[in-house]
Amino acid sequence: MSLVLRAQVAAAAQDIVPAWPLDSFIAVNPLAGGEGRAFGSSRDPHVLVARSSADFTTDFHRGRIPIEALQRTLVTRFPVLGHTMRVGGTSLHASSIAALDMIEHPVVAPASAPAEDTALDNCLSTWIAAYLNPDGLWVMPHRENGFYAAWRRLAVVDPATPRAVRRRITGAPEGVDAALEKAVSGVATGELRDYLRAQLAPLPGWVAHIKWRAEKVGDIDLTNYLAVRLTLAGALGVVPASLEPAPVAPVDTTWERAARIAGLLTEHDAAPADVAAVARVLAEHPSTEHPLTWQAAYEDAYRADMLSGLCSSTEPTERPGVQVVLCIDPRSEGLRRHLERFRGVETLGFAGFFGVPIRFSRYAAQGAINALPALLTPRHRVTEHPLDDAVAKSSVASARLRGALGHALHVADSTSTSPFAFAETAGWFSGAITALRTLVPSVYARLERAFSPDPDDLPTRMLMSESFTLDERAAMAATALRMMGLTRLAPLVVLTGHGSHSINNLYQSALDCGACGGNPGGANARAASALFNDPEVRTVLAGSGLAIPDDTVFVAAEHDTVRDTVTVLDRHDIPTSHLDRVLEFENFQAEAGQRLVAERARDLPGARTRRTVAHVRRRADDWAEVYPELGLAGNAAMIIGPRELTRDVDLGRRVFLHSYRTESDPDGSALETIMTAPLIVAQWINHQYYFSALNPSILGAGTKTIHNAVGTLGVLAGHRGDLRRGLPWQSVGFGRELIHEPMRLSVVIEAPLERIGRIVSGNQVLRNLLDNEWISLTARNQIHHTWHRYTSNGWTPATPATARQNKETLT
Amino acid sequence: MNNLTRMTRIEIVVPARDAPAIRELISSAGATGYTSVSGVSGIGHHGQHSGSLLFNEYDTLTMLITVLPEGKAGELIDAVRELLNSSSGVMFVADTYVSRPEYFQ
Repeated sequence: MSLVLRAQVAAAAQDIVPAWPLDSFIAVNPLAGGEGRAFGSSRDPHVLVARSSADFTTDFHRGRIPIEALQRTLVTRFPVLGHTMRVGGTSLHASSIAALDMIEHPVVAPASAPAEDTALDNCLSTWIAAYLNPDGLWVMPHRENGFYAAWRRLAVVDPATPRAVRRRITGAPEGVDAALEKAVSGVATGELRDYLRAQLAPLPGWVAHIKWRAEKVGDIDLTNYLAVRLTLAGALGVVPASLEPAPVAPVDTTWERAARIAGLLTEHDAAPADVAAVARVLAEHPSTEHPLTWQAAYEDAYRADMLSGLCSSTEPTERPGVQVVLCIDPRSEGLRRHLERFRGVETLGFAGFFGVPIRFSRYAAQGAINALPALLTPRHRVTEHPLDDAVAKSSVASARLRGALGHALHVADSTSTSPFAFAETAGWFSGAITALRTLVPSVYARLERAFSPDPDDLPTRMLMSESFTLDERAAMAATALRMMGLTRLAPLVVLTGHGSHSINNLYQSALDCGACGGNPGGANARAASALFNDPEVRTVLAGSGLAIPDDTVFVAAEHDTVRDTVTVLDRHDIPTSHLDRVLEFENFQAEAGQRLVAERARDLPGARTRRTVAHVRRRADDWAEVYPELGLAGNAAMIIGPRELTRDVDLGRRVFLHSYRTESDPDGSALETIMTAPLIVAQWINHQYYFSALNPSILGAGTKTIHNAVGTLGVLAGHRGDLRRGLPWQSVGFGRELIHEPMRLSVVIEAPLERIGRIVSGNQVLRNLLDNEWISLTARNQIHHTWHRYTSNGWTPATPATARQNKETLT
Repeated sequence: MNNLTRMTRIEIVVPARDAPAIRELISSAGATGYTSVSGVSGIGHHGQHSGSLLFNEYDTLTMLITVLPEGKAGELIDAVRELLNSSSGVMFVADTYVSRPEYFQ
């Protein structure tokens, strides 16, 4: 095959966003391929980029969108609407007329549904699952030769395939390149890219996962996929997919709408000149733009409210007793708010991997996790060293025994002949266990914990010096301190990662820490604590003007976001001089956690009972619970600035909080790191929730209740079909209603505007996101200064929130 | 020239997220290797690129350099040009000389 055809395949797949496997779920913007284009210009006609105008109109009438926000947004999006004009002898703002048109004429979006999976898709899905499933009891023969070659060898002897089809497959070329070349031989060169794009459009979940796998594993690629798809289509006599025609432009109703609006404004039959004047305004803001204007106004109202609630207090000078560094994750916002109520407690926000990107494996464990953002490649492997070899040996022996027993049960349960005998002999026991697990899940969980000790029970230590040089360790520590602006250190600093602990939850990884590659953040907190407590590192830091007081001790902890409990890790490393402080912190977190659970229960479906806290925590052990927690539902903003901005402010667990102080970052490099890494991770998460909420059936994974796992690759809805993308409905909605309010990320920064502008100018990813309106940015130079909004034409003063008194009409 | 052998050097600068596709083309063209430099900086058609980012390798630019015999280079050049037609990136092609040609055959 010519290389040009391979290049055409790569070009056709350019907009496809790779999909990570389920065990390291990474939230991504499913439309990231279009970030170089304006938000809302999706190439897929089935994708919704905003809620319907009718929904927004309802929000307007109940006061969620103030008229001021709507008019402000209209002028921001269409500056030509900023002028005043006369209609029926009255002077009116053009934006008022455009707003009245939006309110009076909600756009009805035509119903649009993606095509159902075809017989070709179903057949192909089965083959891909068989080839890729890592947990299969039966490994696909000839797998080592690649997907196309293995499929071609097996399809011709597959009794489920009609004989005539098998005969045609026998005649297909042996090589993948030749097969694809033959399949596209009838397509004109100029049409080839669109043709290939059309072939990649069905089964988008599998295609996205294959793209990820081609880059990270290498056992399959899209050339193999297309070769099988097109050869199979030819053998089945199926006409290959074609790109859907562009949607028909809606009928222009400008004049009809203008006549009605002019009539409302003049309260009688409007003169033709008035209708014409109104029509000119409406033509500037066509009805196709209404949903995006509504969406922007909806976000403007939220942002204005949030900004008006932020504090303008100065940095405290008193040394705190304990500083709790939490992940930027919005779930930490609730915990920090309840912790900040205690005197002497200060909190900070930092990406949950604490600036220590590692590939981590537990002591004597077989596997390892990439405990770092998906934006990075793992380069440093870190493991644990037991403090007591005899205890470690016994612990490993019992773990192996449990592992062998579990494996034996799995094999007996899964092979083709043994299940019947196994059911006869052990069925009664399994039945009793199942009943216990279903009826009293907390008792079962206690039993399970008794027989399966937590790996954290084995005292171990991470030796960072094995994986990083002293310079690297000191550089990581200095970077973290500068990024957080942490210069006034408390005697106790608790680095608190987070993880979500529930059972029977295929999407648990989506609830773990996104900055840790979809893993719990405890390992990174431990690694970072080891770094900051290292005397050699402290000596280097002191030489760089970042002295850590001798009485400051860093302690690692992990926040369980289902139970809202914080567990202190590596207790054996805490000096006795600080044990009292740690105990005091544990008392604080226990009370803060209870308050937070009670707060969360207001939104968590089915969680409000007479004993709410115990009830919510018990749900973590319930294998039938599809709402263990709500994850990051509701996320809408990110604040980068000193913690005084948000002290005592209830942000409703909707905001990513990253600490930053301009004075600790003389050259702006720390802010650039924040804006190009934590901000990007937050944006990926935000867009994953946004599009999963708006498009639950095509960009979301649908309801969990019918999911079947394909190993650890992903889930199918039912027993066949496409691999589902995005978040399940239980992450964004309940019943028929949305829990997640789809809003694009509003980024708020307190730092010099010139510095922020320079960083945006130097990074294409930020230019794309901001200039194409995938996110918004509001900033102020320093405390008491005016907030400014970033626009592609420069900074413009942001308007504070105003009272919400929407009138039924604007006349 | 000093017993050196003439080859073709191809340098491609693309967003890091597009680099796997380029690497795949280079391998498919029969090149025996390539050099990859991540986080390159500069100013081009799409504006300024500040270079290496501390915690983000995904949104930087990557430069891929490969050297291969003239006979193999043409097809790779055509393929990369095809890919760059729909995305940002640049390609530089130049003659170069190597001392151990067997490494590049």
